[in-house]
Amino acid sequence: MTLKQEKQIPTVIFVLMLFIVFLYMLPLVIMILNSVKNYDEIMKNVLALPEHLSFKNFAVVFKDMNYPLTFFNTFVVTLTGTVGIVIFGSMAGYKMARVKTRYSQLSFLYCITPMMVPFQSFMITLVVIAKKFHLTNNVPGLGIIYWGLGIPMALFLYQGFAKTIPYELEESAIMEGCSQPRLFLQIIFPLLKSVTASVIVVNAMWIWNDFLLPLLVVGGSKEKKTLQLAAYSFMGQYKSEWQNIMAAAILIIIPALIIYLIFQKNIIKGLVAGAVKG
Amino acid sequence: MIPATTNKRRNIKELKEFVCYVFPAVLLITVFVSIPFLMCIYNSFRKWNGISKTTKFIGLKNYRKLFTDDPTFLHALGFTFLYAVCVVIIINITALLLAVLLESNIKGKGFFRAAFYIPNIISLVVIGFIWKFICIRVFDQLAVITNDPFWQQSWLGDPNLAVVTTIFVSVWQGLGFYLIIYIAGLQSVPGDLMEAARIDGAGTFRRFFSVTLPMIMPSISFCMFYSVANSMKMFELIFSLTGGGPGVATTPIALDIYNTAFNNNNFGYGSAKSVVLFIIVCTISVIQVRFFKSREIEA
Repeated sequence: MTLKQEKQIPTVIFVLMLFIVFLYMLPLVIMILNSVKNYDEIMKNVLALPEHLSFKNFAVVFKDMNYPLTFFNTFVVTLTGTVGIVIFGSMAGYKMARVKTRYSQLSFLYCITPMMVPFQSFMITLVVIAKKFHLTNNVPGLGIIYWGLGIPMALFLYQGFAKTIPYELEESAIMEGCSQPRLFLQIIFPLLKSVTASVIVVNAMWIWNDFLLPLLVVGGSKEKKTLQLAAYSFMGQYKSEWQNIMAAAILIIIPALIIYLIFQKNIIKGLVAGAVKG
Repeated sequence: MIPATTNKRRNIKELKEFVCYVFPAVLLITVFVSIPFLMCIYNSFRKWNGISKTTKFIGLKNYRKLFTDDPTFLHALGFTFLYAVCVVIIINITALLLAVLLESNIKGKGFFRAAFYIPNIISLVVIGFIWKFICIRVFDQLAVITNDPFWQQSWLGDPNLAVVTTIFVSVWQGLGFYLIIYIAGLQSVPGDLMEAARIDGAGTFRRFFSVTLPMIMPSISFCMFYSVANSMKMFELIFSLTGGGPGVATTPIALDIYNTAFNNNNFGYGSAKSVVLFIIVCTISVIQVRFFKSREIEA
């Protein structure tokens, strides 16, 4: 192979990748195109470009799905869930990395084992228990249930990272009379910032997009619905009015897309950190 | 390292502190995972409709029924295995191949990586509806335009094709995640090692199979582990794409558990199915850990 030929290879691959990505994204492009069509256009040809842009579909979706309320509900659940997971996960993960006794190791093992247990294998009784604690049909309650489900993974990441923080830092802080809570809040927690960013992004995306747990916990009530639940019932109701369904899909994707674009780097870092240590 | 101390009071103080930090996490996990899980095992030996206060102990009856008198469950078991095997193989090979292509110093790597990841940030329910639209309306349109019988088939209505569709959509949705992990793995392969192999006269394929592949074993084992666990408990995508149909053709175990417990109000029987799902996932995980631990090399 000559040098010139070898230099051409990246260009060939580049064109090939461009083609693959185009095909890969095609379903989403079709979704966007059809979200601005009207019913007649969509019945005529779903592959044609829209004749005129109409945002009427979005208005229908906005009203029918009660978008502001469902958006707010989803936001509350995501916020409650993520904040709790970060607080309790970082506290326990940090302490378990520092204390090296048997009971510390045992409790660490106990806390990370749930990562192996599939959610569906205990969801039936989880609903029963949630009802006992009045956490069903309760938007912040749904967020609280996520604490138990999200802590194992967060704790695992925090513990792994906290092990790498030198102990001298805490020692000198204690020498100078720093109290335990202050030590954690002002010295340790800021040092854990890169893990915290990953934990926040990964958990926020998960809770925002989750469907099954909200279906089981708040599915019965109309005012407590999250975006995903509202989307499901909305899309089931407008069976053949695909223009509305596509518009709804876009309205649901946009918030997650914004989070993704802002925190893109952290997501990738978080995934890789989880993968390498897992 | 914490200095060893014989001071009993100090030990107690440290224990107290430990409990303060760790207790909330342990409590939450106990309440929302451990207790529900243990209760599930307990209920799997009982007859319970989920509403009445009394439950009745019926021994192994639920389990016996599962394997002898429930064609839906046995079908779900078969479908889940078929689905998992196909998705795991296709998704890992495709992602690794794309990662290798992307790592060959082409322009716009960041763009490609971000583009492939986008389906991952869309909720599975929405993905299901987008693809339902594509299978029903877009393929119809393609059939009209191309007159090709390939597009005229009922991609969601035919039991066999519906299985193919669910597998295809799952791969499309999940690919970006595995791609990112494989790219990170490839980036960790030291360049001088590749250079040494090249100087020793190893060709492109030889370098890939003898140097790259063993070096990225941790990424491979993670991706295998994650994709298996994820496909064994697939629920949401299928729920909105096919609803488990036509008939029960694409009903996975997770959906069967849901239907048993929440549509047929058979909580005891559903719990037995849950326990079986747990045992299957656990067994596969243990086998995988053993298999890959013996193959990983220290970098």
